Amino acid sequence: MTLAHQQRGEQPSLQVIPGNTRRPRTKISHWVVFALAVTIAFFGLIYSRISLDHSAFEIQELEEQIAIQEELHWQLRYELAQIQDPALLEGQIADLGMIYPDQRVALSVPVVSIDELDPDYRWAQLEAILSAQP
Amino acid sequence: MLRPTWRVRDLRVALVGVVFILAWLGIGYRLFQVQVVEAATFVADGENQRIRVEDIAAKRGTIFDRDGIELAITVDMPTVIADPSLVFDPEGTAQVLAPLVGATVAELVEKLDRPDARFAYVAKHITSDQEEQLQSAMDAVAECRGGDDPSTCPSDFDGIYLRTEPYRVYPSGDLAAQILGFIQQDTQEGLEGLEAHYNDVLTGTPGTQILERDPEGNPIPLGELQVEPAIAGVDIRTTIDPQVQYVAQQAAAEAVADTHAASATIVVLNPRTGEILAMATAPTFDPNDRQSIDPAAVRNRAVTDVYEPGSTAKVITVAAALDQGLITPQDAWWVPAEYEVDGKEEPYTDVKRSEGRKMSVAEIITKSSNVGTIMIQEQLGNELHYQYLEAFGLGNISGDSIPGEVPGLLRPVRDWVSATAGASTAIGYRMDVTALQMAAVFGTIANDGVWVQPHLVAELIHPDGSLEVTVPSQRPVLQRETARQMRGLLNAVVEHGTGHRAAVPGYSVGGKTGTTEKFIFEEGVYSENDRIASFIGIAPINDPEIVIAVVLDSPHGEIEEDGSTVELKFGGVSAAPVFARVAETALQALGVTPNGQ
Repeated sequence: MTLAHQQRGEQPSLQVIPGNTRRPRTKISHWVVFALAVTIAFFGLIYSRISLDHSAFEIQELEEQIAIQEELHWQLRYELAQIQDPALLEGQIADLGMIYPDQRVALSVPVVSIDELDPDYRWAQLEAILSAQP
Repeated sequence: MLRPTWRVRDLRVALVGVVFILAWLGIGYRLFQVQVVEAATFVADGENQRIRVEDIAAKRGTIFDRDGIELAITVDMPTVIADPSLVFDPEGTAQVLAPLVGATVAELVEKLDRPDARFAYVAKHITSDQEEQLQSAMDAVAECRGGDDPSTCPSDFDGIYLRTEPYRVYPSGDLAAQILGFIQQDTQEGLEGLEAHYNDVLTGTPGTQILERDPEGNPIPLGELQVEPAIAGVDIRTTIDPQVQYVAQQAAAEAVADTHAASATIVVLNPRTGEILAMATAPTFDPNDRQSIDPAAVRNRAVTDVYEPGSTAKVITVAAALDQGLITPQDAWWVPAEYEVDGKEEPYTDVKRSEGRKMSVAEIITKSSNVGTIMIQEQLGNELHYQYLEAFGLGNISGDSIPGEVPGLLRPVRDWVSATAGASTAIGYRMDVTALQMAAVFGTIANDGVWVQPHLVAELIHPDGSLEVTVPSQRPVLQRETARQMRGLLNAVVEHGTGHRAAVPGYSVGGKTGTTEKFIFEEGVYSENDRIASFIGIAPINDPEIVIAVVLDSPHGEIEEDGSTVELKFGGVSAAPVFARVAETALQALGVTPNGQ
């Protein structure tokens, strides 16, 4: 009710109903959050894509390394087999001055009797050998 | 000047509008055509440019000896290839490449000077040193092109590429060459030996990959990639002992050199397991050097070539009669110098014996008496004789693991109609055998009368690690006591008989000599000069570990021995010493303790 209305003793035709005194919330923050989220998602997508590409290159490089190592593995197996060639070994042995003996003597070792396995008997034998030494 | 009325202006605007509309309609139509109507075609064209379907070669299986050392292995070797259509200066490129790949300029010009061709091999399987030199030269050119003035860079390597290709190598050269065989390097297909016999399992299953490549041919990371991996070939572990094989090959080569024989064949067998420890043939070849291979040297004569076993087959006749209880080693009777059989113009005789005398069974074997053996066969009869020959494995192949093996020839007993059939068969004629079959016969005697299937492959090793182990078949042929008696007789052959040159210092051995006239198949007659000399023995005779068969084809010449001249055509003279040499080294290599005999 205005002052004029009061002076004139008039009753207001419209009644003012006290409303919410708070200022209406601005919608801008939603947009900021949304824009921020979109931006983060955008850069996140780019970053993940770059990471993925990076990983792909790393995987490719590792695969190449695996292939190289595998090739090396087979080469080494080949070389290992080569150096075990009997003909090569024979040549190297000859270079070291070793020869295959042209005469061999087979030693016939007499069968050991049960008595000879007895510790006392063996100790007696050993004593005899030791006492015979100067 | 008359100003255009609004109607005219509207008309112009309308006209421009129509033009724009038509233009947009045209663009829209084209877009529709490209994006909808011909979309599939353009997608396919794009994929054809980027996406490649490539085969993944399966690694060929490795062949090992019994100790797991590679005898045949596939490695990736650098190879230089060219796209001749991109080689602008063939002469200049050839001059640069020639010293790097070890070829002549003329050879390279011939390969490169073909403007219409898209592919040529410049140099196959170059060495790693050559690869390094070539790669650094190519890198230098690439670096130059990435520099400030690429126009000054040489174009030496335009259209030249370096790549790896699978290459089959045999690390031990000619070791077991006839057993292993070789492959066609371009197709990786086995042509001879185990390589051919087991080609299907060694080859494996190729895989496929679908992937995107950039214009340079490099794979695009994160591009399309579908891989169906290749399944590697099966590995083969053979029964070959490298040391025994080596000494057998050396002995065979020396035998050929010493006796002027056309060829020498040696088989070393483990009689208990049937494992073939060595099969050597001289002359031999190096499968790494395909250019110098003599086709005649490729055959594994131990299983592909047949011969009449001669006196070594007397062992079967005598063993059968002993096994049947018809004779004992001590039995003795009068053996005439000549023995006539109906239907044969010339009587059967013994070598170096002109008068008849009483001989025991032991003497018949130790002196290798033809007449005595024929008389034993008469007691045995054709039917039983044939049964034993068959039981000993003659006339049949040993199994399916040995490449190129032939069954030989053992005529069915119903065909033994002539009076001489039994007599001739008794002394090792009228049938064809392989050296391996005869080794298995002596293996049966060594193994207490049980024939064990000779085999070359110990196991197949599948890519998933599973093993397919060879289990040789066995069958009893002789009683244990008969086999023991036969070993005694064979020992006597070496101690007192025709096989004395087979004696091995430190070991007691036994065996039988054999000398037969060589049958010339092309002419259908026996050779007057050529002989097949053989010796098949067991060592050590009291506890057998190995059986060795030595067969020399047409040895010639003479040697002086103890003041007399002896002819090398006899098995006891030429083949027995070869046995001794192989046995001595093989027994030591296998760790067999000398028995002091």
